[in-house]
Amino acid sequence: MRRLQRELPVLFALSLALGLVAFPYAWTLLTSLKTEAAINRALALDFTPTLLNWRAVLFESNIPLQMRNSLLVGLLTVSLALLVGAPAAYAFSRFGVGGSGLRFAILAAQMLPPATLIVPLFLIMYSLQLLDSLWAVVAAHLTFILPLATWFLIGFFDDVPRDLEEQAMVDGCTPWQAFYKVVLPGIRPGLAATGLFGFVLSWNDLFYALLLTGKNSATLPVGVAGFWTFRGIEMGRMSAAIILAVVPMVFASFFVQKYLVRGIGGGAIKG
Amino acid sequence: MLRSLFAFKYRLLFPLLLVIALILGYPLAYSFWVSLHDYRLTAIAQARWVGLEQYFTILAQNASFWNALRNTVIFVGVAVGLELGLGLWLALLLHRKTTLFRNFFRSALLVPMFVTPIAVGLMFRFLLNSQLGVVPAVLRAFGIEVDWFSARNALLTLALIDVWQWTPFMVLLLLAGLESLPEEPFEAAKVDGASSLQTFWHLTLPMLRPTIMAAVIIRMLDAFKVYEYVYAITRGGPGESTETIQYHIYRVGFLYFRLGEASAMSYVLIAVILVLVIMLFYALRRESLAQR
Repeated sequence: MRRLQRELPVLFALSLALGLVAFPYAWTLLTSLKTEAAINRALALDFTPTLLNWRAVLFESNIPLQMRNSLLVGLLTVSLALLVGAPAAYAFSRFGVGGSGLRFAILAAQMLPPATLIVPLFLIMYSLQLLDSLWAVVAAHLTFILPLATWFLIGFFDDVPRDLEEQAMVDGCTPWQAFYKVVLPGIRPGLAATGLFGFVLSWNDLFYALLLTGKNSATLPVGVAGFWTFRGIEMGRMSAAIILAVVPMVFASFFVQKYLVRGIGGGAIKG
Repeated sequence: MLRSLFAFKYRLLFPLLLVIALILGYPLAYSFWVSLHDYRLTAIAQARWVGLEQYFTILAQNASFWNALRNTVIFVGVAVGLELGLGLWLALLLHRKTTLFRNFFRSALLVPMFVTPIAVGLMFRFLLNSQLGVVPAVLRAFGIEVDWFSARNALLTLALIDVWQWTPFMVLLLLAGLESLPEEPFEAAKVDGASSLQTFWHLTLPMLRPTIMAAVIIRMLDAFKVYEYVYAITRGGPGESTETIQYHIYRVGFLYFRLGEASAMSYVLIAVILVLVIMLFYALRRESLAQR
Protein backbone atom coordinates (compact mmCIF):
# COMPACT_ATOMS: atom_id res chain seq x y z
CA MET A 1 0.00 0.00 0.00
CA ARG A 2 2.77 2.43 0.90
CA ARG A 3 4.61 1.37 -2.20
CA LEU A 4 1.56 2.18 -4.29
CA GLN A 5 1.30 5.58 -2.66
CA ARG A 6 4.89 6.32 -3.53
CA GLU A 7 4.52 5.05 -7.08
CA LEU A 8 1.40 7.03 -7.94
CA PRO A 9 3.15 10.39 -8.59
CA VAL A 10 5.73 8.62 -10.81
CA LEU A 11 2.98 6.84 -12.67
CA PHE A 12 1.15 10.13 -13.07
CA ALA A 13 4.22 11.92 -14.44
CA LEU A 14 4.98 9.16 -16.94
CA SER A 15 1.34 8.98 -18.04
CA LEU A 16 1.38 12.72 -18.60
CA ALA A 17 4.49 12.37 -20.77
CA LEU A 18 2.85 9.54 -22.66
CA GLY A 19 -0.23 11.68 -23.19
CA LEU A 20 1.90 14.47 -24.67
CA VAL A 21 3.61 11.96 -26.94
CA ALA A 22 0.41 10.27 -28.10
CA PHE A 23 -1.88 13.28 -28.45
CA PRO A 24 -0.60 14.66 -31.79
CA TYR A 25 -0.99 11.26 -33.46
CA ALA A 26 -4.42 10.72 -32.00
CA TRP A 27 -5.60 14.15 -33.08
CA THR A 28 -4.16 13.71 -36.58
CA LEU A 29 -5.92 10.36 -36.88
CA LEU A 30 -9.20 11.99 -35.81
CA THR A 31 -8.67 14.80 -38.30
CA SER A 32 -8.19 12.30 -41.11
CA LEU A 33 -11.70 11.01 -40.35
CA LYS A 34 -13.34 14.44 -40.39
CA THR A 35 -15.06 16.33 -43.17
CA GLU A 36 -13.84 19.77 -44.15
CA ALA A 37 -16.61 21.44 -42.16
CA ALA A 38 -15.72 19.52 -39.01
CA ILE A 39 -12.04 20.43 -39.37
CA ASN A 40 -12.94 24.10 -39.44
CA ARG A 41 -14.42 23.82 -35.96
CA ALA A 42 -11.24 23.32 -33.98
CA LEU A 43 -12.75 21.54 -30.99
CA ALA A 44 -15.27 19.43 -32.87
CA LEU A 45 -15.58 15.97 -31.35
CA ASP A 46 -19.23 15.47 -32.34
CA PHE A 47 -18.57 14.69 -35.99
CA THR A 48 -19.64 11.80 -38.17
CA PRO A 49 -16.51 9.88 -39.20
CA THR A 50 -15.89 9.67 -42.92
CA LEU A 51 -13.42 7.68 -44.99
CA LEU A 52 -13.46 10.20 -47.85
CA ASN A 53 -9.98 11.51 -47.01
CA TRP A 54 -8.55 8.02 -46.88
CA ARG A 55 -10.17 7.07 -50.16
CA ALA A 56 -8.78 10.21 -51.78
CA VAL A 57 -5.27 9.60 -50.49
CA LEU A 58 -5.16 5.89 -51.29
CA PHE A 59 -6.84 5.92 -54.69
CA GLU A 60 -6.71 9.41 -56.15
CA SER A 61 -3.34 10.83 -55.05
CA ASN A 62 0.30 10.16 -55.69
CA ILE A 63 0.86 8.96 -52.13
CA PRO A 64 0.90 5.21 -53.00
CA LEU A 65 3.48 5.87 -55.72
CA GLN A 66 5.51 7.98 -53.31
CA MET A 67 5.35 5.26 -50.67
CA ARG A 68 6.66 2.81 -53.22
CA ASN A 69 9.47 5.22 -54.08
CA SER A 70 10.38 5.63 -50.42
CA LEU A 71 10.34 1.88 -49.94
CA LEU A 72 12.60 1.33 -52.96
CA VAL A 73 15.02 4.07 -51.98
CA GLY A 74 15.20 2.75 -48.42
CA LEU A 75 15.77 -0.85 -49.47
CA LEU A 76 18.41 0.04 -52.07
CA THR A 77 20.25 2.40 -49.71
CA VAL A 78 20.27 -0.07 -46.86
CA SER A 79 21.35 -3.02 -49.02
CA LEU A 80 24.25 -1.05 -50.46
CA ALA A 81 25.21 0.33 -47.05
CA LEU A 82 25.32 -3.13 -45.48
CA LEU A 83 27.08 -4.70 -48.46
CA VAL A 84 29.86 -2.10 -48.42
CA GLY A 85 29.82 -1.25 -44.71
CA ALA A 86 29.88 -4.74 -43.17
CA PRO A 87 33.26 -5.91 -44.59
CA ALA A 88 34.84 -2.56 -43.73
CA ALA A 89 33.40 -2.62 -40.21
CA TYR A 90 34.84 -6.13 -39.81
CA ALA A 91 38.25 -4.86 -40.92
CA PHE A 92 38.03 -2.01 -38.39
CA SER A 93 36.90 -4.31 -35.62
CA ARG A 94 39.36 -7.19 -36.14
CA PHE A 95 42.44 -5.64 -37.69
CA GLY A 96 42.12 -2.03 -36.53
CA VAL A 97 42.80 -0.80 -40.06
CA GLY A 98 43.68 2.87 -40.20
CA GLY A 99 43.66 3.21 -36.43
CA SER A 100 41.07 5.16 -34.49
CA GLY A 101 41.66 8.18 -36.76
CA LEU A 102 39.97 6.57 -39.76
CA ARG A 103 37.19 5.22 -37.56
CA PHE A 104 36.35 8.65 -36.26
CA ALA A 105 36.63 10.14 -39.74
CA ILE A 106 33.83 7.75 -40.71
CA LEU A 107 31.79 8.98 -37.76
CA ALA A 108 32.51 12.61 -38.64
CA ALA A 109 31.23 11.99 -42.17
CA GLN A 110 27.88 11.07 -40.68
CA MET A 111 27.76 14.40 -38.82
CA LEU A 112 28.14 16.54 -41.96
CA PRO A 113 25.11 18.81 -42.37
CA PRO A 114 23.27 17.95 -45.60
CA ALA A 115 23.47 21.62 -46.57
CA THR A 116 27.17 21.14 -47.27
CA LEU A 117 26.60 18.31 -49.74
CA ILE A 118 23.43 19.28 -51.51
CA VAL A 119 24.96 21.81 -53.92
CA PRO A 120 27.61 19.48 -55.38
CA LEU A 121 25.27 16.47 -55.35
CA PHE A 122 22.66 18.49 -57.21
CA LEU A 123 25.19 19.60 -59.83
CA ILE A 124 26.63 16.10 -60.23
CA MET A 125 23.19 14.54 -60.64
CA TYR A 126 22.30 17.27 -63.09
CA SER A 127 25.31 16.58 -65.29
CA LEU A 128 24.74 12.81 -65.07
CA GLN A 129 21.08 13.44 -65.97
CA LEU A 130 20.04 11.58 -62.84
CA LEU A 131 17.85 14.33 -61.36
CA ASP A 132 14.30 13.10 -60.81
CA SER A 133 15.53 9.52 -60.45
CA LEU A 134 15.60 7.26 -57.42
CA TRP A 135 19.35 6.74 -57.84
CA ALA A 136 20.06 10.37 -57.04
CA VAL A 137 18.27 10.00 -53.71
CA VAL A 138 19.95 6.67 -52.99
CA ALA A 139 23.38 8.25 -53.50
CA ALA A 140 22.46 11.20 -51.29
CA HIS A 141 21.11 8.94 -48.53
CA LEU A 142 24.22 6.78 -48.67
CA THR A 143 26.29 9.83 -47.66
CA PHE A 144 24.94 9.54 -44.12
CA ILE A 145 23.60 6.00 -43.91
CA LEU A 146 26.80 4.26 -45.07
CA PRO A 147 29.02 5.90 -42.40
CA LEU A 148 26.33 5.27 -39.79
CA ALA A 149 25.92 1.60 -40.73
CA THR A 150 29.70 1.09 -40.67
CA TRP A 151 29.96 2.73 -37.27
CA PHE A 152 27.10 0.65 -35.84
CA LEU A 153 28.50 -2.62 -37.21
CA ILE A 154 31.98 -2.06 -35.73
CA GLY A 155 30.34 -2.31 -32.31
CA PHE A 156 28.41 -5.45 -33.18
CA PHE A 157 31.54 -7.15 -34.59
CA ASP A 158 33.49 -6.19 -31.46
CA ASP A 159 31.02 -8.23 -29.43
CA VAL A 160 31.69 -11.47 -31.36
CA PRO A 161 34.41 -13.52 -29.66
CA ARG A 162 37.49 -14.02 -31.82
CA ASP A 163 37.76 -17.73 -31.02
CA LEU A 164 34.88 -18.38 -33.39
CA GLU A 165 36.66 -17.43 -36.58
CA GLU A 166 40.02 -18.68 -35.32
CA GLN A 167 38.42 -22.09 -34.83
CA ALA A 168 36.88 -21.87 -38.30
CA MET A 169 40.27 -21.10 -39.83
CA VAL A 170 41.89 -24.00 -37.98
CA ASP A 171 39.15 -26.15 -39.52
CA GLY A 172 40.33 -25.05 -42.96
CA CYS A 173 38.25 -21.98 -43.77
CA THR A 174 39.90 -19.07 -45.57
CA PRO A 175 39.65 -15.72 -43.73
CA TRP A 176 36.91 -14.68 -46.13
CA GLN A 177 34.91 -17.86 -45.50
CA ALA A 178 35.34 -17.43 -41.79
CA PHE A 179 33.95 -13.90 -42.16
CA TYR A 180 30.82 -14.63 -44.11
CA LYS A 181 30.08 -18.15 -42.90
CA VAL A 182 30.81 -17.74 -39.21
CA VAL A 183 31.05 -14.12 -38.08
CA LEU A 184 28.37 -12.54 -40.26
CA PRO A 185 25.60 -14.95 -39.19
CA GLY A 186 26.69 -14.31 -35.60
CA ILE A 187 25.70 -10.66 -35.79
CA ARG A 188 22.40 -11.19 -37.57
CA PRO A 189 20.38 -9.19 -34.99
CA GLY A 190 22.90 -6.36 -35.24
CA LEU A 191 22.69 -6.40 -39.03
CA ALA A 192 18.90 -6.36 -38.91
CA ALA A 193 18.81 -3.50 -36.40
CA THR A 194 21.36 -1.48 -38.35
CA GLY A 195 19.49 -2.05 -41.59
CA LEU A 196 16.16 -1.15 -40.07
CA PHE A 197 17.52 2.02 -38.48
CA GLY A 198 19.13 3.01 -41.78
CA PHE A 199 15.77 2.44 -43.43
CA VAL A 200 14.08 4.70 -40.88
CA LEU A 201 16.57 7.49 -41.62
CA SER A 202 16.11 7.12 -45.36
CA TRP A 203 12.32 7.02 -45.09
CA ASN A 204 12.32 10.18 -42.95
CA ASP A 205 14.59 12.35 -45.10
CA LEU A 206 13.01 15.40 -46.67
CA PHE A 207 15.95 17.68 -47.50
CA TYR A 208 17.72 15.63 -50.16
CA ALA A 209 14.55 14.15 -51.58
CA LEU A 210 12.97 17.58 -51.99
CA LEU A 211 15.82 18.86 -54.13
CA LEU A 212 16.82 15.74 -56.06
CA THR A 213 13.44 14.27 -56.98
CA GLY A 214 10.75 15.40 -59.38
CA LYS A 215 7.23 14.34 -60.21
CA ASN A 216 7.99 10.66 -60.81
CA SER A 217 10.58 10.03 -58.15
CA ALA A 218 9.15 12.04 -55.23
CA THR A 219 9.37 10.17 -51.94
CA LEU A 220 6.73 10.09 -49.22
CA PRO A 221 8.00 13.06 -47.14
CA VAL A 222 7.97 15.21 -50.29
CA GLY A 223 4.42 14.09 -50.98
CA VAL A 224 3.29 14.77 -47.42
CA ALA A 225 4.86 18.24 -47.48
CA GLY A 226 3.02 18.97 -50.73
CA PHE A 227 -0.40 18.94 -49.09
CA TRP A 228 0.00 22.21 -47.27
CA THR A 229 0.21 24.30 -50.43
CA PHE A 230 -3.56 24.17 -50.76
CA ARG A 231 -4.01 25.37 -47.20
CA GLY A 232 -7.04 24.21 -45.21
CA ILE A 233 -8.60 22.52 -48.21
CA GLU A 234 -6.30 19.51 -47.97
CA MET A 235 -6.09 19.22 -44.20
CA GLY A 236 -7.97 15.92 -43.90
CA ARG A 237 -6.00 14.27 -46.67
CA MET A 238 -2.73 15.52 -45.30
CA SER A 239 -3.59 13.94 -41.96
CA ALA A 240 -4.23 10.60 -43.64
CA ALA A 241 -0.90 10.86 -45.49
CA ILE A 242 0.90 11.73 -42.23
CA ILE A 243 -0.54 8.63 -40.58
CA LEU A 244 0.67 6.52 -43.52
CA ALA A 245 4.19 7.95 -43.17
CA VAL A 246 4.32 7.58 -39.40
CA VAL A 247 2.83 4.15 -38.67
CA PRO A 248 5.60 2.03 -40.24
CA MET A 249 8.18 4.02 -38.27
CA VAL A 250 6.34 3.43 -35.00
CA PHE A 251 6.55 -0.30 -35.61
CA ALA A 252 10.17 -0.12 -36.68
CA SER A 253 11.03 1.73 -33.48
CA PHE A 254 9.97 -1.21 -31.30
CA PHE A 255 12.41 -3.51 -33.09
CA VAL A 256 15.33 -1.10 -33.24
CA GLN A 257 15.25 0.41 -29.73
CA LYS A 258 16.94 -2.51 -28.00
CA TYR A 259 20.02 -2.38 -30.23
CA LEU A 260 20.30 1.35 -30.76
CA VAL A 261 22.49 2.18 -27.79
CA ARG A 262 25.05 -0.46 -28.68
CA GLY A 263 24.99 0.82 -32.26
CA ILE A 264 25.59 4.44 -31.32
CA GLY A 265 28.41 3.41 -29.01
CA GLY A 266 29.82 1.65 -32.08
CA GLY A 267 33.56 1.78 -32.45
CA ALA A 268 34.12 4.12 -29.51
CA ILE A 269 33.53 1.68 -26.71
CA LYS A 270 36.18 -1.01 -26.27
CA GLY A 271 38.10 0.82 -29.04
CA MET B 1 50.05 -16.03 -44.33
CA LEU B 2 50.84 -12.64 -42.84
CA ARG B 3 51.01 -11.00 -46.21
CA SER B 4 47.71 -12.52 -47.35
CA LEU B 5 46.10 -11.33 -44.14
CA PHE B 6 47.41 -7.84 -44.88
CA ALA B 7 45.86 -7.98 -48.33
CA PHE B 8 42.65 -9.41 -46.90
CA LYS B 9 41.98 -6.57 -44.52
CA TYR B 10 42.53 -3.93 -47.18
CA ARG B 11 40.30 -5.78 -49.60
CA LEU B 12 37.56 -5.63 -46.97
CA LEU B 13 38.05 -1.90 -46.59
CA PHE B 14 38.45 -0.97 -50.24
CA PRO B 15 34.75 -0.82 -51.30
CA LEU B 16 33.96 1.54 -48.43
CA LEU B 17 36.82 3.88 -49.29
CA LEU B 18 35.85 3.87 -52.94
CA VAL B 19 32.19 4.69 -52.27
CA ILE B 20 33.10 7.35 -49.69
CA ALA B 21 35.46 8.96 -52.18
CA LEU B 22 32.71 9.01 -54.81
CA ILE B 23 29.79 10.25 -52.75
CA LEU B 24 31.58 12.35 -50.10
CA GLY B 25 35.14 13.15 -51.14
CA TYR B 26 34.47 14.25 -54.68
CA PRO B 27 31.34 16.31 -53.86
CA LEU B 28 33.15 18.10 -51.03
CA ALA B 29 36.08 18.98 -53.29
CA TYR B 30 33.69 20.03 -56.04
CA SER B 31 31.77 22.18 -53.58
CA PHE B 32 34.97 23.95 -52.57
CA TRP B 33 35.73 24.66 -56.22
CA VAL B 34 32.21 26.04 -56.69
CA SER B 35 32.63 28.22 -53.60
CA LEU B 36 35.52 30.01 -55.29
CA HIS B 37 33.29 30.99 -58.20
CA ASP B 38 30.39 33.33 -58.74
CA TYR B 39 28.30 30.32 -59.71
CA ARG B 40 24.64 30.83 -60.48
CA LEU B 41 22.25 28.08 -61.46
CA THR B 42 20.62 30.46 -63.93
CA ALA B 43 23.91 31.24 -65.67
CA ILE B 44 26.24 28.28 -65.21
CA ALA B 45 28.13 29.06 -68.43
CA GLN B 46 29.14 32.48 -67.09
CA ALA B 47 30.60 31.16 -63.84
CA ARG B 48 33.44 33.45 -62.90
CA TRP B 49 36.46 32.90 -60.63
CA VAL B 50 36.30 35.11 -57.55
CA GLY B 51 38.69 33.35 -55.19
CA LEU B 52 37.92 33.77 -51.51
CA GLU B 53 35.82 36.87 -52.09
CA GLN B 54 32.53 35.17 -51.16
CA TYR B 55 34.01 33.95 -47.88
CA PHE B 56 35.04 37.48 -46.95
CA THR B 57 31.61 38.80 -47.86
CA ILE B 58 29.89 36.16 -45.75
CA LEU B 59 32.13 36.69 -42.74
CA ALA B 60 32.27 40.48 -42.92
CA GLN B 61 28.96 41.77 -44.13
CA ASN B 62 26.32 39.12 -44.66
CA ALA B 63 23.73 40.01 -42.02
CA SER B 64 21.31 37.28 -43.13
CA PHE B 65 23.95 34.59 -42.69
CA TRP B 66 24.85 35.70 -39.19
CA ASN B 67 21.20 36.08 -38.32
CA ALA B 68 20.60 32.50 -39.45
CA LEU B 69 23.59 31.28 -37.46
CA ARG B 70 22.39 33.15 -34.39
CA ASN B 71 18.87 31.72 -34.76
CA THR B 72 20.33 28.23 -35.08
CA VAL B 73 22.48 28.65 -31.97
CA ILE B 74 19.46 29.89 -29.98
CA PHE B 75 17.36 27.03 -31.33
CA VAL B 76 20.03 24.46 -30.46
CA GLY B 77 20.68 25.93 -27.02
CA VAL B 78 17.02 26.07 -25.98
CA ALA B 79 16.09 22.71 -27.50
CA VAL B 80 19.07 20.70 -26.27
CA GLY B 81 18.99 22.34 -22.83
CA LEU B 82 15.34 21.42 -22.29
CA GLU B 83 15.89 17.96 -23.76
CA LEU B 84 18.70 17.30 -21.31
CA GLY B 85 16.69 18.41 -18.27
CA LEU B 86 13.54 16.60 -19.27
CA GLY B 87 15.44 13.57 -20.55
CA LEU B 88 17.43 13.20 -17.34
CA TRP B 89 14.28 13.41 -15.25
CA LEU B 90 12.44 10.81 -17.35
CA ALA B 91 15.51 8.55 -17.45
CA LEU B 92 15.74 8.62 -13.65
CA LEU B 93 12.03 7.74 -13.35
CA LEU B 94 12.38 4.90 -15.86
CA HIS B 95 15.54 3.63 -14.17
CA ARG B 96 13.82 3.02 -10.82
CA LYS B 97 13.18 -0.67 -10.48
CA THR B 98 9.91 -0.10 -8.63
CA THR B 99 8.30 2.06 -11.33
CA LEU B 100 5.07 0.49 -12.55
CA PHE B 101 4.72 -0.48 -16.23
CA ARG B 102 8.41 0.40 -16.65
CA ASN B 103 9.04 -1.50 -19.89
CA PHE B 104 5.84 -0.31 -21.47
CA PHE B 105 6.66 3.34 -20.77
CA ARG B 106 10.20 2.84 -21.99
CA SER B 107 9.27 1.67 -25.44
CA ALA B 108 6.26 3.96 -25.83
CA LEU B 109 8.07 7.13 -24.82
CA LEU B 110 10.92 6.51 -27.26
CA VAL B 111 8.67 6.46 -30.33
CA PRO B 112 8.81 10.17 -31.38
CA MET B 113 12.50 10.05 -32.33
CA PHE B 114 11.76 7.56 -35.10
CA VAL B 115 8.97 9.51 -36.70
CA THR B 116 9.25 11.46 -39.97
CA PRO B 117 10.21 15.04 -38.98
CA ILE B 118 8.23 16.71 -41.76
CA ALA B 119 5.13 14.87 -40.51
CA VAL B 120 5.87 16.07 -36.98
CA GLY B 121 6.27 19.64 -38.21
CA LEU B 122 3.00 19.55 -40.13
CA MET B 123 1.12 17.97 -37.22
CA PHE B 124 2.22 20.76 -34.91
CA ARG B 125 1.56 23.44 -37.50
CA PHE B 126 -2.01 22.21 -37.53
CA LEU B 127 -2.33 21.65 -33.76
CA LEU B 128 -1.00 25.15 -32.98
CA ASN B 129 -2.69 27.00 -35.85
CA SER B 130 -4.51 30.02 -34.41
CA GLN B 131 -7.74 29.38 -36.34
CA LEU B 132 -7.90 25.60 -36.83
CA GLY B 133 -5.67 24.37 -34.05
CA VAL B 134 -6.90 22.51 -31.00
CA VAL B 135 -4.23 23.86 -28.63
CA PRO B 136 -5.04 27.58 -29.07
CA ALA B 137 -8.75 26.71 -28.91
CA VAL B 138 -8.33 24.94 -25.58
CA LEU B 139 -6.12 27.72 -24.21
CA ARG B 140 -8.67 30.30 -25.31
CA ALA B 141 -11.28 28.51 -23.26
CA PHE B 142 -9.07 29.25 -20.25
CA GLY B 143 -8.64 32.85 -21.37
CA ILE B 144 -5.05 32.39 -22.53
CA GLU B 145 -4.15 33.86 -25.91
CA VAL B 146 -0.81 32.73 -27.36
CA ASP B 147 0.31 33.33 -30.93
CA TRP B 148 2.71 30.41 -31.33
CA PHE B 149 4.08 31.57 -34.66
CA SER B 150 4.52 35.30 -34.08
CA ALA B 151 7.91 36.85 -34.80
CA ARG B 152 8.74 36.68 -31.10
CA ASN B 153 7.56 33.15 -30.38
CA ALA B 154 8.08 31.18 -33.58
CA LEU B 155 11.71 30.18 -33.00
CA LEU B 156 10.93 29.00 -29.46
CA THR B 157 7.90 27.08 -30.73
CA LEU B 158 10.14 25.28 -33.22
CA ALA B 159 12.55 24.48 -30.38
CA LEU B 160 9.65 23.02 -28.36
CA ILE B 161 8.71 20.80 -31.29
CA ASP B 162 12.31 19.60 -31.36
CA VAL B 163 12.01 18.86 -27.64
CA TRP B 164 8.89 16.80 -28.32
CA GLN B 165 10.65 14.75 -30.96
CA TRP B 166 14.16 14.40 -29.54
CA THR B 167 13.90 14.18 -25.74
CA PRO B 168 13.46 10.41 -26.28
CA PHE B 169 16.99 10.27 -27.67
CA MET B 170 18.34 11.77 -24.44
CA VAL B 171 16.25 9.32 -22.42
CA LEU B 172 17.63 6.42 -24.44
CA LEU B 173 21.30 7.33 -23.97
CA LEU B 174 20.98 8.48 -20.35
CA LEU B 175 19.09 5.32 -19.38
CA ALA B 176 21.84 3.24 -20.89
CA GLY B 177 24.36 5.34 -18.99
CA LEU B 178 22.49 4.89 -15.72
CA GLU B 179 22.30 1.16 -16.25
CA SER B 180 26.04 0.86 -16.80
CA LEU B 181 26.89 2.54 -13.47
CA PRO B 182 28.32 0.22 -10.79
CA GLU B 183 25.96 -0.53 -7.89
CA GLU B 184 28.35 -0.57 -4.92
CA PRO B 185 28.71 3.23 -4.45
CA PHE B 186 24.94 3.58 -4.37
CA GLU B 187 24.58 0.83 -1.80
CA ALA B 188 27.29 2.43 0.30
CA ALA B 189 25.52 5.79 0.09
CA LYS B 190 22.30 4.15 1.24
CA VAL B 191 24.06 2.57 4.21
CA ASP B 192 25.51 5.97 5.09
CA GLY B 193 22.02 7.43 5.05
CA ALA B 194 22.44 9.81 2.12
CA SER B 195 19.21 11.42 0.90
CA SER B 196 18.15 10.72 -2.68
CA LEU B 197 18.95 14.32 -3.62
CA GLN B 198 22.45 14.00 -2.18
CA THR B 199 22.97 10.73 -3.99
CA PHE B 200 21.88 12.33 -7.23
CA TRP B 201 24.19 15.38 -6.88
CA HIS B 202 27.27 13.68 -5.52
CA LEU B 203 27.11 10.24 -7.15
CA THR B 204 24.77 9.91 -10.12
CA LEU B 205 25.53 13.21 -11.81
CA PRO B 206 29.36 13.05 -11.67
CA MET B 207 29.41 9.40 -12.73
CA LEU B 208 27.00 10.08 -15.57
CA ARG B 209 28.98 13.06 -16.84
CA PRO B 210 30.68 11.36 -19.83
CA THR B 211 27.33 9.99 -21.06
CA ILE B 212 25.72 13.40 -20.65
CA MET B 213 28.55 15.04 -22.59
CA ALA B 214 28.29 12.58 -25.46
CA ALA B 215 24.50 12.76 -25.59
CA VAL B 216 24.47 16.56 -25.56
CA ILE B 217 27.05 16.90 -28.32
CA ILE B 218 25.40 14.30 -30.57
CA ARG B 219 22.07 16.09 -30.09
CA MET B 220 23.67 19.49 -30.77
CA LEU B 221 25.21 18.28 -34.02
CA ASP B 222 21.88 16.88 -35.08
CA ALA B 223 19.88 19.93 -34.03
CA PHE B 224 22.21 22.09 -36.12
CA LYS B 225 20.71 20.41 -39.17
CA VAL B 226 17.18 21.59 -38.35
CA TYR B 227 15.29 22.11 -41.56
CA GLU B 228 12.03 20.14 -41.68
CA TYR B 229 10.19 22.11 -38.99
CA VAL B 230 11.18 25.39 -40.64
CA TYR B 231 10.13 24.13 -44.04
CA ALA B 232 6.87 22.70 -42.73
CA ILE B 233 5.82 25.65 -40.64
CA THR B 234 7.43 29.05 -41.09
CA ARG B 235 9.70 28.95 -44.15
CA GLY B 236 12.05 31.20 -42.20
CA GLY B 237 9.46 33.80 -41.28
CA PRO B 238 7.98 35.98 -39.97
CA GLY B 239 10.69 38.17 -41.49
CA GLU B 240 13.85 36.17 -40.96
CA SER B 241 13.04 35.30 -37.36
CA THR B 242 13.14 31.50 -37.82
CA GLU B 243 15.64 31.26 -40.63
CA THR B 244 18.09 28.57 -39.55
CA ILE B 245 21.45 27.94 -41.15
CA GLN B 246 20.42 24.86 -43.09
CA TYR B 247 17.31 26.64 -44.35
CA HIS B 248 19.31 29.74 -45.24
CA ILE B 249 21.78 27.76 -47.36
CA TYR B 250 18.85 26.04 -49.05
CA ARG B 251 17.24 29.42 -49.79
CA VAL B 252 20.38 31.07 -51.16
CA GLY B 253 21.29 28.04 -53.25
CA PHE B 254 17.98 26.80 -54.53
CA LEU B 255 15.52 29.67 -54.31
CA TYR B 256 17.98 32.41 -55.34
CA PHE B 257 20.16 30.02 -57.40
CA ARG B 258 23.42 31.46 -55.95
CA LEU B 259 25.24 28.13 -55.68
CA GLY B 260 28.71 29.63 -55.25
CA GLU B 261 27.65 31.67 -52.25
CA ALA B 262 25.74 28.71 -50.78
CA SER B 263 28.85 26.53 -51.09
CA ALA B 264 31.02 29.10 -49.36
CA MET B 265 28.46 29.26 -46.53
CA SER B 266 28.48 25.52 -46.20
CA TYR B 267 32.25 25.57 -45.70
CA VAL B 268 31.91 28.16 -42.96
CA LEU B 269 29.29 25.85 -41.42
CA ILE B 270 31.68 22.89 -41.64
CA ALA B 271 34.21 24.88 -39.63
CA VAL B 272 31.62 25.46 -36.90
CA ILE B 273 30.56 21.82 -36.90
CA LEU B 274 34.17 20.66 -36.79
CA VAL B 275 34.68 22.28 -33.41
CA LEU B 276 31.67 20.37 -32.07
CA VAL B 277 32.85 17.09 -33.60
CA ILE B 278 36.28 17.39 -32.01
CA MET B 279 34.61 17.97 -28.66
CA LEU B 280 32.52 14.84 -29.24
CA PHE B 281 35.59 12.71 -29.93
CA TYR B 282 37.21 13.75 -26.69
CA ALA B 283 34.00 13.06 -24.77
CA LEU B 284 33.57 9.63 -26.36
CA ARG B 285 37.19 8.72 -25.85
CA ARG B 286 37.09 9.67 -22.21
CA GLU B 287 33.98 7.56 -21.83
CA SER B 288 35.58 4.53 -23.46
CA LEU B 289 38.59 4.95 -21.14
CA ALA B 290 36.29 5.16 -18.14
CA GLN B 291 34.56 1.93 -19.13
CA ARG B 292 37.70 -0.05 -19.60
